[in-house]
Amino acid sequence: MKDLALRIENILATSPVWVEARFHRRKSQSVQVQSGLVKQAKSNITSGIGIRCLVDGAWGFSSTSDTSTQAIEKALRQAIDCAKSISQLKKASIKTLPTVGIAQGEFILDGYSELEQMPLEKKLQAVIGAEQNVRRLSKNIQTAVCAYNEQFENKIVITTDGARAISRLARNEIRVSAIAADHGEFAEGQHTVGRTGAWECLFAESNFLEMGEKAAKLAVDLLSAPKIPGGLSTLILSPAMVGLLSHEAIGHTVEADFVLSGSVAQGKIGTQVASPLITLCDSGIVKEQAHAGGDLLVDDEGIATQNTTIIKEGILNSYLHNRESAAAFGVAPTGNARAWLYQDEPLIRMRNTYILPGHQTLQEIIESTADGYLVDCPLGGQADSTGEFMFGAQKVMRIEKGKITKLFRGATISGQAFSVLNSVDAVSREFHLDLGAGYCGKGQPAKVDAGGPYIRCRAIIGGVQS
Amino acid sequence: MDILHKERHLLENAASQLISEALRQGADSAEVCGSYGQRSKISLEKQDFHLASTDDGYQLGIRVLKGQQQGFASCNTLEAKELKEIAARAVEIAGFSPENPHFSIQSVSSGKTDHSLEMWDESLSRISLQTQKDWALWMSQEFLKDKRIRLNEGALEVGRGLYSVSNSKGTHQLESETNCNWTLMGMAAEEDNITSFDYFSQISRKSMGIGDKIVSSSRRFRDSLLRNLKTGPATSYKGLVLFSPRAVLDILIDSVVYHLNGRVVLEGSSRWKTNDLGTKVLSPLLFLEDSAWNSDRMSCGLFDREGTPTQDLALIKEGMLTAFLLDHYSAKGLHQSSNGHAVGGPSSAPTVGSHNLSLRGGTQALNTLMAQQTTPQGILWVNRYSGQTDPVTGDFSGVAKGSEWWVNGEFQHCVKETLVSGNVFEALGPCFLSLSQETQVVDSSGESPTALIDGISVTAN
Repeated sequence: MKDLALRIENILATSPVWVEARFHRRKSQSVQVQSGLVKQAKSNITSGIGIRCLVDGAWGFSSTSDTSTQAIEKALRQAIDCAKSISQLKKASIKTLPTVGIAQGEFILDGYSELEQMPLEKKLQAVIGAEQNVRRLSKNIQTAVCAYNEQFENKIVITTDGARAISRLARNEIRVSAIAADHGEFAEGQHTVGRTGAWECLFAESNFLEMGEKAAKLAVDLLSAPKIPGGLSTLILSPAMVGLLSHEAIGHTVEADFVLSGSVAQGKIGTQVASPLITLCDSGIVKEQAHAGGDLLVDDEGIATQNTTIIKEGILNSYLHNRESAAAFGVAPTGNARAWLYQDEPLIRMRNTYILPGHQTLQEIIESTADGYLVDCPLGGQADSTGEFMFGAQKVMRIEKGKITKLFRGATISGQAFSVLNSVDAVSREFHLDLGAGYCGKGQPAKVDAGGPYIRCRAIIGGVQS
Repeated sequence: MDILHKERHLLENAASQLISEALRQGADSAEVCGSYGQRSKISLEKQDFHLASTDDGYQLGIRVLKGQQQGFASCNTLEAKELKEIAARAVEIAGFSPENPHFSIQSVSSGKTDHSLEMWDESLSRISLQTQKDWALWMSQEFLKDKRIRLNEGALEVGRGLYSVSNSKGTHQLESETNCNWTLMGMAAEEDNITSFDYFSQISRKSMGIGDKIVSSSRRFRDSLLRNLKTGPATSYKGLVLFSPRAVLDILIDSVVYHLNGRVVLEGSSRWKTNDLGTKVLSPLLFLEDSAWNSDRMSCGLFDREGTPTQDLALIKEGMLTAFLLDHYSAKGLHQSSNGHAVGGPSSAPTVGSHNLSLRGGTQALNTLMAQQTTPQGILWVNRYSGQTDPVTGDFSGVAKGSEWWVNGEFQHCVKETLVSGNVFEALGPCFLSLSQETQVVDSSGESPTALIDGISVTAN
């Protein structure tokens, strides 16, 4: 890596324009077991270099899987040609990029070597055992699926204005799924976990067998659960659901590229957008939770990541920036530029997004809820620039007079993000980052994590009408 | 095709090296999927041109069998050392993977069907960056003609490439293609009124007439966003709902395809079994087909991920189940033959999927269909869906994005924060009422008419 970094530096030294070179090598391995059969066991290696340059206020980008000096020089020439051609069409030139936070050195997260040294065969055996256990838990379990995936990331980011970052990290994730069947009724339960670090990081909260038990129990319980009635309701969102809210409904609207395109957060810095109980952050490293799934020390523009407070006690405090948007807003970059592979240009993406914990316990919040629902086990979600969001939840429990009374089948939760955050009247002290094996999609995938405390709010449940 | 002569030669050589190395390392059989692609892209962002980029590269994936044990590995270089390593890695993985009786690597016929597919256009393969810039400019100018339009992002990408599948049993297939793909994502805004975010994409494999296609599709997208600016209230009810072609495909047909997947049938997770073939499983109004032979669509080709020739396939005829989607894995387990539905790229082992689905149109004119309603308040027309569908149970629940409220066949306004929920198999069974004559191709992929369905719950804020 250091030899390659030196070679890249030498090539860039001759460039007449601003250039960023990013080498990325990803080794990924995955296994999937279903109904006692190994459906997939695979290993992939993808590596190459992406060259981005800024000429006459316009971006050009070229990438190649060939890392020979000749190929890198050719990619640089192509990137410059691309930038020159687009500069003729561009209405607004990109300003000089800020250099605040430019990183130099080695940025290595724990667990890489340990995970790499553990043989894939051993991981496969653990997955086979976990899948087998899920099928044994109930006669109603018709199908079980257990999958494991890991990625080893090695990167070099060098820019002509001083960034020189060599980074290394490993991410891993587990998905356990159980489908229960009874008299023609089907229900599915899932448990997923995603971490940055060694194999053991995946099992900090539950071991493999317990994950299977959670998925199987949920599937069996949902078999007899009724569908939920739809309407505006009081909801207690679990940390995983709060993670979805923080990421999908708020986080995307404050990504500065969306802000410049006219998202609902445009022009709202310094204004109240949420209940004073809400402080929302996006961070490269989360001090409250080790080995979060979106951990990152340096971004793909060579900027050191930081803890960005997006909303502070209800007031919108900051957007999420790359170097270009930071220049446009006249602020420092926040280390949010991320690219999926070497062929992709860095985009503004989140890392670990979460609401800070409050002072009440979950039990106190439930006991003070006269009529509502406790919503847990997210199934994914989406939001648009207006802040209108949609989340799926597998597990919805009715709360009546301060007690959990009944389980309902999964439902969809929707609302306008800032309205929902303004309605928050309780925040728990329990805190957890729990997006599981989730990825964010924005043209390119990105591994992210999100979470927070339990919060009580008002939103719409999309259920059945009579 | 002379343009990619060198790359074709290198790709074929690498595939051959990989197969030889895997056999030498102890594999009983091996299959290599390879691709080579060159692309140039003009990207738009925030009402402006954003970036021009180029990329080219190879991708190679090898699947090996040792008895009934399978291993897979892939890389993106042609370096001999790396090819040797991934062949050895695939054999090593097979060595410690338990046996699975359904795995196979099979010899397929030469792959020459009597069908021809025009996936390569010499003119498009030689298009200059200047012409590509002109096309991107036309797209941007047409879309942004109205000041209320907000362009979030867009791109116009021209590519040319090769795709090959070969195995140690004598299968050798190679196809080349050109394509131009354009996409736009954005919304409309007027003072504080911002519409839902929406998108479209379209593909063409020929340069002839491409400018007109780009301009007309950009205009249609702009007009649909502007229409969404007129917003008004919705009412909660349970009853008739109109599903746009996009909503039919995304909410309903996606779940049906899950149950038609041969691997899902083999696992016993499908609601249908092989002895259901020839029986009525959905409304008699439904006729669903799959084809890989339309070069105007995204996913097309004369052979599939395992090298098996593709075919036009009727899946549902007048509500009767007529075929499942099969690759060699599922076909072996179900004691049938593959019908060319192995899908995937070089970085994954084959799996099962559809190519381009088409739901046939019905008998009612679209404007007659739009005039149906059960409540005096009106009826919801679901344009786009942002939500969850559980393919196992068929239950769906999500937000109806960019959707409209119609009263007595007249458009009233668009609605926000309105959710729809129901069950796919009730919707396509007893609750299914009618299909429009007119059909629409969505994002150069699936094709569907508009559908009128009863028993759907609508929850409005």
